Amino acid sequence: MSEVEPPTSGESRTALNEDWAATIVGLVLLVLIITGVIPTGLVP
Amino acid sequence: MSTEQAANTGVQAGTPAWRWPAAGVLVVLLLAAATRFLEKGVPTWFAGSGLAKAIEFPVYAIVLGLLGNAVLTATGLRDRLAGGFRTEFFIKTGLVLLGASINLKVIVTAAGPAIIQGIVLISTVFLFTWWLGGRLGLDDKLRALLSAAVSICGVSAAIAAAGAVQARREQLAYSASLVIAFALPSIFILPALASALGLSPEVAGAWIGGNIDTTAAVTAAGTIVGEDALAIATIVKVTQNALIGVVVVALTAWFAFRVERRADAARPGLGELWRRFPKFVLGFVSASVIATWYLTTVPAAQGKAVIGVANDLRTWFLILAFVSIGLEFRVASLKEAGWRPVGVFAAATVVNVLVALGLAALLFSGYTVE
Repeated sequence: MSEVEPPTSGESRTALNEDWAATIVGLVLLVLIITGVIPTGLVP
Repeated sequence: MSTEQAANTGVQAGTPAWRWPAAGVLVVLLLAAATRFLEKGVPTWFAGSGLAKAIEFPVYAIVLGLLGNAVLTATGLRDRLAGGFRTEFFIKTGLVLLGASINLKVIVTAAGPAIIQGIVLISTVFLFTWWLGGRLGLDDKLRALLSAAVSICGVSAAIAAAGAVQARREQLAYSASLVIAFALPSIFILPALASALGLSPEVAGAWIGGNIDTTAAVTAAGTIVGEDALAIATIVKVTQNALIGVVVVALTAWFAFRVERRADAARPGLGELWRRFPKFVLGFVSASVIATWYLTTVPAAQGKAVIGVANDLRTWFLILAFVSIGLEFRVASLKEAGWRPVGVFAAATVVNVLVALGLAALLFSGYTVE
């Protein structure tokens, strides 16, 4: 195992985008579940 | 990814840039599937053994991640696949989905004590770490990084503070590795202590959320204690995350005007607060609003089954995050900076544990998740 890589400004931007990406993916999945597109029993 | 790492990836060998991260995600998915298999299988295989039943999925996920880490490091593949180990994305998506299982009323009623706990805890631990770092002669920037990391929320706070005080890259790397080195054992130690102290799930959750530095580790420890503890730990933790902006703005101003005395320094404003605000908190609250509304429109049994699907998906994302923690774990060269920063961080962690316990007991002892 190696040393921790120092985060760069690029990675900070990635972290910022990941915030929005996680919000969108999470809410879209929730809407798909509520509307029945992802039915009960599908997720193992 | 560093230049050296980039040079080691398959881009040079003519492999499309997306293949290695995609392969990394595949590794995470396979280890997550193995975690789910163990989580469901072990209690059956060792029926009657209390210990097997007591082991929650974060334990399997982290251990499998660490084993995968060792194998991939030994085979030289780890750095190439690292682009797929998206701990932050997985944990934040999992937390947005977690919002669906928390009634909006719980978030609203727990937010008050969570904010009070956050402000008192962050101020106390930050000032203690800053003072101790000064007594031991640490560089001001490293003091600021360690203080932010131990008092708020680990790596992301250290990154934000590093930008505010313009710290050196190695100081940030060092602080980040200290955070991980201390967070990993606390995932297991704090739930055990909470059980030994006989804390209620709400107090245990507030303690874990206020004390453990990284959001992923808070979620892992909260899961080990139980669903109610996880809910409170998450609310307390996202409240602290949301306070990063305030600390960063204060640090930026403090360093610009008092430590470095730059005449040309611009005053940080509201834009900076918004830029530092963790946006997934909005997703977490939105999911709670949507689910709380949805549950008023359908029969209870149907609502429970549907939210159960969201919970299953949430578990998957959390497993992906915990596997990634194991895969990402790196042993830092702690010797380089000497024993003093480690001593400061360890002492600050002890103060954090004690103050957080006192505040959690004070603010959450009469609180129950309905």
